[in-house]
Amino acid sequence: MATSLSDSVTGNSSNPAESLIRLENVDKIFQMGEVAVQAMRDVSLDIYRGELLAMVGPSGSGKSTILNIVGGLDNATNGKVWFGEQLLSDFSARELTRYRRDTVGFVFQFYNLVPTLSARENVMVSTEISDEPMDVLEALRMVDLEDRADHFPSQMSGGEQQRVAIARALAKNPELLLCDEPTGALDFATGKRVLRLLVDLKNHLGKTIVMITHNSALAQAADRVIRLRSGQVVEVKTNDQPVPPEDIIW
Amino acid sequence: MSVLDKKLGREFWSSKWLLLAISLIITLGVGCYVGMATVYRSLQTAKTDYYSTSRMADFSIELKKSPLAEIEEIGRLPGVAAIRPRISFYTTVDLPDAVQPINGLVLSLPERRSATVNDIFLRRGSYFTDRRENEVIVNEAFAKRHKLSPGQWIHLVLNDSRQELFIVGTAISSEFVYLLSPGGIVPDPEHFGVFYLKQSYAQDVFDFDGAANQVLGVYSPGTTVSRQATLDEAERMLESYGVISTTPLVDQASNRYLSQEIDGLASFAVVMPIIFLGVAAVVLNVLLTRLAEQQRTIIGTLKALGFFDYQIFLHFLKFGLAVGVGGGLAGCLVGYYIAAGMTIMYRMFYSFPRLDNAFYNDIQASGLAISVVCGIIGSLHGTRLVLKLKPAEAMRAKPPGGGGAILLERIGWLWRRLNTGWRMVARNVIRNRMRTAAGIFAAAMGAALLSSGFMMLQGSLYLVDFQFKWVMRSDIDLTLKNERSEAALLEVKSLPGVKLAEPMLSVPGTFKNGSHRKKGAIVGLSRGAKLTVPRDLEARPIPVRGCGLTMSRKMAEILDVKRGDFVTFRTSKGLQRDHEVQVLEIAESYMGTAVYADFDYLNRLVGEHGAINQVQLLVDSDPQTQEALFGELKRLPSVQAVNCRSDMVKSIEDTLIASMIGFIGTLIIFSGTIFFGSILNSALIGLAERQREVATLRVLGYGPWQIGNLLFRESMIVTVIGTFVGMPIGYGLTVLMAISYDSELFRFPVVSTSLTWIFTAVLAILFCTMAQLFVQRTILNMDWLDALQSKE
Repeated sequence: MATSLSDSVTGNSSNPAESLIRLENVDKIFQMGEVAVQAMRDVSLDIYRGELLAMVGPSGSGKSTILNIVGGLDNATNGKVWFGEQLLSDFSARELTRYRRDTVGFVFQFYNLVPTLSARENVMVSTEISDEPMDVLEALRMVDLEDRADHFPSQMSGGEQQRVAIARALAKNPELLLCDEPTGALDFATGKRVLRLLVDLKNHLGKTIVMITHNSALAQAADRVIRLRSGQVVEVKTNDQPVPPEDIIW
Repeated sequence: MSVLDKKLGREFWSSKWLLLAISLIITLGVGCYVGMATVYRSLQTAKTDYYSTSRMADFSIELKKSPLAEIEEIGRLPGVAAIRPRISFYTTVDLPDAVQPINGLVLSLPERRSATVNDIFLRRGSYFTDRRENEVIVNEAFAKRHKLSPGQWIHLVLNDSRQELFIVGTAISSEFVYLLSPGGIVPDPEHFGVFYLKQSYAQDVFDFDGAANQVLGVYSPGTTVSRQATLDEAERMLESYGVISTTPLVDQASNRYLSQEIDGLASFAVVMPIIFLGVAAVVLNVLLTRLAEQQRTIIGTLKALGFFDYQIFLHFLKFGLAVGVGGGLAGCLVGYYIAAGMTIMYRMFYSFPRLDNAFYNDIQASGLAISVVCGIIGSLHGTRLVLKLKPAEAMRAKPPGGGGAILLERIGWLWRRLNTGWRMVARNVIRNRMRTAAGIFAAAMGAALLSSGFMMLQGSLYLVDFQFKWVMRSDIDLTLKNERSEAALLEVKSLPGVKLAEPMLSVPGTFKNGSHRKKGAIVGLSRGAKLTVPRDLEARPIPVRGCGLTMSRKMAEILDVKRGDFVTFRTSKGLQRDHEVQVLEIAESYMGTAVYADFDYLNRLVGEHGAINQVQLLVDSDPQTQEALFGELKRLPSVQAVNCRSDMVKSIEDTLIASMIGFIGTLIIFSGTIFFGSILNSALIGLAERQREVATLRVLGYGPWQIGNLLFRESMIVTVIGTFVGMPIGYGLTVLMAISYDSELFRFPVVSTSLTWIFTAVLAILFCTMAQLFVQRTILNMDWLDALQSKE
């Protein structure tokens, strides 16, 4: 294995060129009844350790499909996916679960919190299965929600729920944070606040973060931007000077 | 406690009504199992212990009269461990304050207590003493009913003379656990008792010095000698002394009723839980499938977070497990109390030295295990969906379900006539196939229980009507001592209040047809008799023809004869000769194995003329006239027994109706639980799934009752279809029960009238409406604005 969780936390962020995930000529075809839909076409790309990578593109461009394959939620139809030196695309279902458990943190557009559990308990869902989890309250403190620990999702705003979801993803100390439209359901100010949180996580904890957005403006905060269309990478752009979230307007 | 368990606990709480409904169905299923299995074992144990300690006879041979020396020979047959000769006679009891003559059975017992065959079990007082010869031990139920105690005197008519007897004790006996008077189907201690006399006293009073008219015997344990061969040999040895009947234990009346009841319990302990637990598993399956679909995203998230499939599987399985454990524990408790109640009821009808309710660990544990298995089976389908779901797929919203046209829409003329509401209802019912099927299954089981319950009630009432009002129509039956001439009939006819008197001649003997043999009697009926009327299956009277036999269906089955066949009849009294007689008619009969013939024909057959040994009476119902009649009957020396059939029928009806009302009440509660639980479950799930649809309808201006009406129609369609499916199943259940209760003593008629089906349908609709009220409450309390804003 290329790195361990603890390695990533202590951070090799000084060396952004080291590839954490590599996709080589990946295709993904969904069989929808009698129709085959090609969601990814010959996609090759690298995700570097410690970077904030934004994937942008219209609906149906294949953003979520890439995220699912990188996160071990789905398998590629063709091509290879590397996690460090390990061939992720050859992982068994059990190995993929282990990979998700130890390496990946997910943040979803609609938060996906368990409605019957409080904020603290939602984070515990993650820490209970983790080998080296963070303290639950510490994770909530990082997203500034320590005082809302015993509130249930229905008692929180969308922004707060998304921050709980981020705390849940962080609490198991993952190397890779995958965020699917993390601000998609949030208002402007709250969205900015969540974006700031992600940038901070990269800068201070050295997390590798992949963020999907259909909002190109948000991509200004990323180190690199990959633009997709119809399941293909059409542009890879490096931001030499990422814009602080506070300065972005959309 | 893990967070997922906390999640489970809270989801449990939020689905409490649904889970309670399912748990209740499981509770009843397990309760039935535990209750019936417990009573089954208690009865079986009580029976085995009682039979063993009292040395219950394996056979009895009823004779006219045989010297004891001849009887002793039976004891020397291989395979026979012990025998007891005894004297057995029917008697009339003369109680000072009883208007009617009361009948009884007198049995002789050894003077001194010994480990004898068919020993009695003393309840009060003592065994016989040396103080006097004329001591009697009275059966406990009769003594209790007539407030008789040791130390009192009682008068019995023994061998034509009124004897005064001193009661030394009261007792029960293993041969009369279920004590029936001749012709009765329920114990009637008011009108029938058993009286034990000293052997020597009985010999004196009946002129049976050195003789007996009954042999009781027990087989050697583990004997390899054929029991039938032993009985045949015994019969052969005693043939010249007039063998009236030979009764192996299996045919002994009390044992037969008791064994039938125990076997019936065993079947019910299987059938009832299968119905309940089957419904519970199906309903739970619907709930868990819904839960798995509802929690699609959560499942996906848990998988994304790194939970293994088995962890999520177990998490969901715990739902079913918890329902199983909860319902099972409650069921065990309910079962214990069902058993307690049934034990009390059985104690009223069955006399055991001891019959207690017990807590059987293994039955309780198996009840719980069955419940847990039911919970798991009920959860498997839904939980397996959780496994199938790929994490990425789970994250996506569920694709809209099949929204296309349903089959019904192809029937254009029908579809065009349906308004939008009915179309929505039809589409929902047809598209949610699994839920609809589950609802139909539950309703079918509920309706099957209801209809079979009503059929049993109607069957019982029909049996009483058929047997005691249409076939046997007399008010009073007289049994005469030996055969009398027609003068006896004239004498009876002249008694006060007698409106009609019909003579009968009963000739005991053995029927033979090839290898088939059966002891019984031919009853001679006068031409055009009105007080005993054999009837066919449709209860139409069958006239008794001038020659040949009218045979009850059961006897015809035993002898394997059809109309027109000949059987050999060998009389067991007088000249024992074989007669070839033709079976001319087959009569329906739900009790016994009666065979009828024309009175004159039968007299000719046995070489008599105008001989009578029974008289049936139709009498004035005026109490004073009846009192005068009974007074006269008590004084008539030729009358051996007086049976007031009208009283017996009333007592049967009262007992039967009381127990049937309890039975039907329980069945209504049970089936109501099934209907209610299933409908509630289905409707609430439907409501939860369609919150947004409901909210949209509210925005469009639909009121909560209009929306409730749409759901009500769906529930009602499922209920009505299920009820129709369940009715034939109920019929089938009743047929099965009738088959299992089919014996020589007793058959259960399968009767269904339009009332059966009307009551079943009305109750099903009532349960559906009641469940809907609960659903309506949920609709009224629903925050539909919130539902409108929530994401799908």
